[in-house]
Amino acid sequence: MLKFLPYVRKNILGHRVRSAMTVAGTAVLLFLFLFVTSVQNGLDRILDARDDKLIVFQAYRFCPSSSQLPVFYADTIQAVPGVKAVLPVKVVVNNCRASLDTVVFHGVDPKLLPAVRPNVRFLSGDWSAFQSRTDAALVGRRIAERRGLQPGQSFTIAGITVQVAGVFASDAIGEENVIYTHLTLIGNPGSHHDFHATLFEVQLDDPQHATDVAAAIDAKIREKYEVPTETKPQKAHYAGALADLLDLIGMTRWLGFVCVGVVVVLVANSVVMSAQDRVKEHAVLQTLGFSGPRVFSLMLAESCLISLAGGLLGTAACVGFLEWRPMSLSTEGVSIDFVASGTLVVAGLVLSLVVGFVAGAVPAWQAGRAEIVSSLR
Amino acid sequence: MALVEIKNLSKVYRKGTQEVPVLRDLDLTVEAGEFVALMGPSGSGKTTLLNLIAGIDRPTDGIIRVAGVDLSQLSRTKLAAWRAQHVGYIFQLYNLIPVLTAFENVELPLLLLPLSRSERRKRVEVVLGAVGLLDRYDHYPRQLSGGQEQRVAIARAIVADPTIIVADEPTGDLDAETADATLALLRRLNEEMGKTLVMVTHDPHAAAAAKRLVRLEKGALVASELRAVGEERESVARAGA
Repeated sequence: MLKFLPYVRKNILGHRVRSAMTVAGTAVLLFLFLFVTSVQNGLDRILDARDDKLIVFQAYRFCPSSSQLPVFYADTIQAVPGVKAVLPVKVVVNNCRASLDTVVFHGVDPKLLPAVRPNVRFLSGDWSAFQSRTDAALVGRRIAERRGLQPGQSFTIAGITVQVAGVFASDAIGEENVIYTHLTLIGNPGSHHDFHATLFEVQLDDPQHATDVAAAIDAKIREKYEVPTETKPQKAHYAGALADLLDLIGMTRWLGFVCVGVVVVLVANSVVMSAQDRVKEHAVLQTLGFSGPRVFSLMLAESCLISLAGGLLGTAACVGFLEWRPMSLSTEGVSIDFVASGTLVVAGLVLSLVVGFVAGAVPAWQAGRAEIVSSLR
Repeated sequence: MALVEIKNLSKVYRKGTQEVPVLRDLDLTVEAGEFVALMGPSGSGKTTLLNLIAGIDRPTDGIIRVAGVDLSQLSRTKLAAWRAQHVGYIFQLYNLIPVLTAFENVELPLLLLPLSRSERRKRVEVVLGAVGLLDRYDHYPRQLSGGQEQRVAIARAIVADPTIIVADEPTGDLDAETADATLALLRRLNEEMGKTLVMVTHDPHAAAAAKRLVRLEKGALVASELRAVGEERESVARAGA
């Protein structure tokens, strides 16, 4: 088949404008499809993440700012059997609604953080730089890139002024969208100078007992402080926060499928036009001894190559764009990263090949089955 | 030795419910090394006969055997493979592939044969040299004159060293001078390379290049005359005689 490639290539390049238009159209639509898929991928990553933590949140509260739990509850939670570690977290966001540019501060105890975040990898700065200043901030890679934040730089967002002590990368879901700072900086001390957290992140001895431990935590706090809390596995907490977006993202998946459908029609149209223009040429090829299946495969190769070229462009554009401008959709302090993963690249290329095959199969089959004599006329 | 054996050959085209007989009960034999011209008025069935010999059409009835193979017994795919090996077809309107250069056009039939790239190159260069167009190997059909295009088409027809060469009005679209040059080339293929040629033509001048003239009328063979260069025609057979 390889020795026929120059013929296929020349036929594609010989109809430059038509091929270029089809490739461009395919690229744009593949870009759209993959962009939508990257959101879906980000959401799947959150919902498929390992569920080994519990989140203690104030009951009947939604936006992080509405959950106020005194930090000293941590001792009570720590005493519940099955709890390994507790991290009080004060969450402050610049926008509690759905937004593409939400900045999320997590106020934490700087001494506790290294033990519960072993996955943090410093791109600049270190733990000691973070611990040495009360206004120090560790900035997640994605938000640092999005906002252009550098070590040593001071900035104010949502009324909080911090200085960047370091930038970190992490493979934990959504963590690269977080700015860690000191809880004492943003923890709103109450009337008894007690700091408040938004939530408690609870690590478990055995994640399999998460449900029982969650119930025990809620019961203990209610019993001791008469405050209703809602303790859920982290994944369920995220799903609750993102509930409003789930349907919307689900709908965008259909939009992606529509894009794929349009690509099929676009490529099919191009291949049909090409086949109709070259009825006589295919008859000549058959006269020379090219079999019907050979003509079919040549036409199909054209269709697949055009589609693949569009797929390559669209995929490269989508991945390049998401690398250049890391995007996240956030609501209630939980972020969905638009993930340009290797899987997305492979999916884009495989999809474009499948589209080329589907779009080209019928016209190619017709070209291969045409009667030579009537086609020559 | 008979290269083409045709017995009781009939061809009927169907247009909707209507049947149009094109060839009726035709017998013909072409010996290896012959140069046969098929003549006759429009609609006499000469191109249909040529297409049947070339294996690009199928008879309705009768037997057509070329190089010992009964073509009506071959499947579409096997017939295509047979054509690739045994038939060189020259069209009236050249039918070169517009996006390919002269070299690539001539190379096309070789892609179907188990030849290395260098073998293909060698063969293409030989035949392009034989038709006097080696210096135009990288020209596209649009950059060639009609006569040059037809020479490329002839090179394409002979490059795979086919058993039989068929030509459908090969000079029909050429001026007189170019037509003469093309006919001279066909004669050389026949005389110097021993190729068997069957050519359809309206033109008596073109037919004069052939060694035998076969006349068709209304789908039937009405005359077959042997001709020798510089000699008078010798009528050897008449249909129905």
